[in-house]
Amino acid sequence: MNKKLPVILLTAPSMIVLLGVFILPMLMMLLLSFQNDAQAFSLENYLLFVKDPFYAEIMWRTIRVSLWTVLCTLVLGFPVAMYMAQASGKMRGIVTMLILAPHLISVVIRNFGWVVVLGDKGWINELLLKIGWIQEPLRLLYNELGVVIGLTDAFIAYMVLAIATSLYAIDPSLSKAASILGASRTRIFLTVTLPLSLPGIIAGTTLVFSLSMSAFVTPALMGGTSVKVMPVIAYEQIMSTLNWPLGAALAFLLLGSTILLVTLYSRLIETKRYKEVFAS
Amino acid sequence: MRKLHPLGLVTFLVLILVNLPFLVIIPSSFTAAGYLSFPPEGFSWQWYTMILDRPEFIESFWFSVKLATITAVLATLVGTLAAMALHKYKFRGSGIVNGLLLSPLTVPSLIIGIAALLFFTRIGIAGTFTGLLLAHILISIPYVVRLVLTGLSTFDYTLEKAGYMLGASPLRVFWDITLPLLRPAIVSGMIFSFLTSFDNVTVSLFLVAPDTTTLPLAIFTYMQETLDPLVASISAVVILLSLVFIVLLEKVYGLDRLFGLNSQSH
Repeated sequence: MNKKLPVILLTAPSMIVLLGVFILPMLMMLLLSFQNDAQAFSLENYLLFVKDPFYAEIMWRTIRVSLWTVLCTLVLGFPVAMYMAQASGKMRGIVTMLILAPHLISVVIRNFGWVVVLGDKGWINELLLKIGWIQEPLRLLYNELGVVIGLTDAFIAYMVLAIATSLYAIDPSLSKAASILGASRTRIFLTVTLPLSLPGIIAGTTLVFSLSMSAFVTPALMGGTSVKVMPVIAYEQIMSTLNWPLGAALAFLLLGSTILLVTLYSRLIETKRYKEVFAS
Repeated sequence: MRKLHPLGLVTFLVLILVNLPFLVIIPSSFTAAGYLSFPPEGFSWQWYTMILDRPEFIESFWFSVKLATITAVLATLVGTLAAMALHKYKFRGSGIVNGLLLSPLTVPSLIIGIAALLFFTRIGIAGTFTGLLLAHILISIPYVVRLVLTGLSTFDYTLEKAGYMLGASPLRVFWDITLPLLRPAIVSGMIFSFLTSFDNVTVSLFLVAPDTTTLPLAIFTYMQETLDPLVASISAVVILLSLVFIVLLEKVYGLDRLFGLNSQSH
């Protein structure tokens, strides 16, 4: 059967786009990141963290902000996912719609909304000042708190949906069985629901962490000039300082450390899960 | 009436929080004051008429519409063809092709943007419409492929066969049988590509020319310098437009079915 021709014809357009806009550019970027000022091969751009504590500090801040975002999305998202798993079909649809719809509207606009809420003259501060709970506006924006709030809003949908998917898959007769055997609701949650939703939690935390590490718009708008994270620094190196090799290296360092941390994390969870299996 | 479940309460609060930005933008945009204030002072359309005095926003709006429309059409075309090849022919390397087509989703937009800028500068299309368009098509392809592949998973090839047996040409079969059956998936892919392109900031940031910029980028730049109710009125217009598309998407495909595949819009 001759199926080579149709396959080539059908996949060629997308493969050309992929090659020309993605694969070749990435390779070029990788090569460029190993270039020093004299345009010779060098590891200089990658040894930054060892040489300059400035970059190590920014990397640590990026990781810290991402971890906080993971924690916030998990704590706020888990109950929502549980509610969705228990809700009727119609209610589940409404919640899905309300958690997903904002996700499809520009992140710039959502950040602007948060500025209106959290700013020094924002709704929260004006309200608290009026009722006299505070004398000075609270600093809710242009610091790490602001970035975490923005990122939590931006990525909570991923956490909710990842956990909800794994909760939907749990056989409801399991909790019923546990209940008949006399387990309390807390016990059922801890021994049935939580362990079985672990795949969703791993997927959600991993996804939100990776997304937070490389987020640019929210930190730029809600972090201000004092709270710079890796993506913002990489952007500045490319667009303002025009040090392209350094910008490229920073971007790869960010990507590399994200992958490394995510891999370590899932290794850790896996071994822990096996331990549980062996113990029982 | 059963009493309000604690989970229900948390869910309610989270839903309010997630939608809070929009809930405050709309009233803020009607303020009569010259600054953002709480509660909004008075009522006026002034910040909406003000948009008309800012040609950069009007121009960038139409530029975004044009870009997103062409992106949607081309990405859907290119992605649909690839998805059909993947589903219909079990060829060697199809796993690799599939992985490649979805890979722009797993690489951060920031890196895609930087890489594209470096490469486009080398080949001389940096800052051109073509460059920007190509990048937007790239980031839209994974969504189209995923959506069309899902649509194809329930596709009945015997219908195509029946068409051939009745003497229809391949083109006729495609047009009269394949396409109508896949329409929901293809239309959703198109709407999703439109929204992906229309809202994109991180990739566009590196690729726009100073004189032609997209609307979200125009707002982004404006926001970094000034914060006034003008941003609110422009945002309100965009929110309204996006809502139209979201409702469309919900009607054509169902939002819940979309989830899990949108992981790279920031």
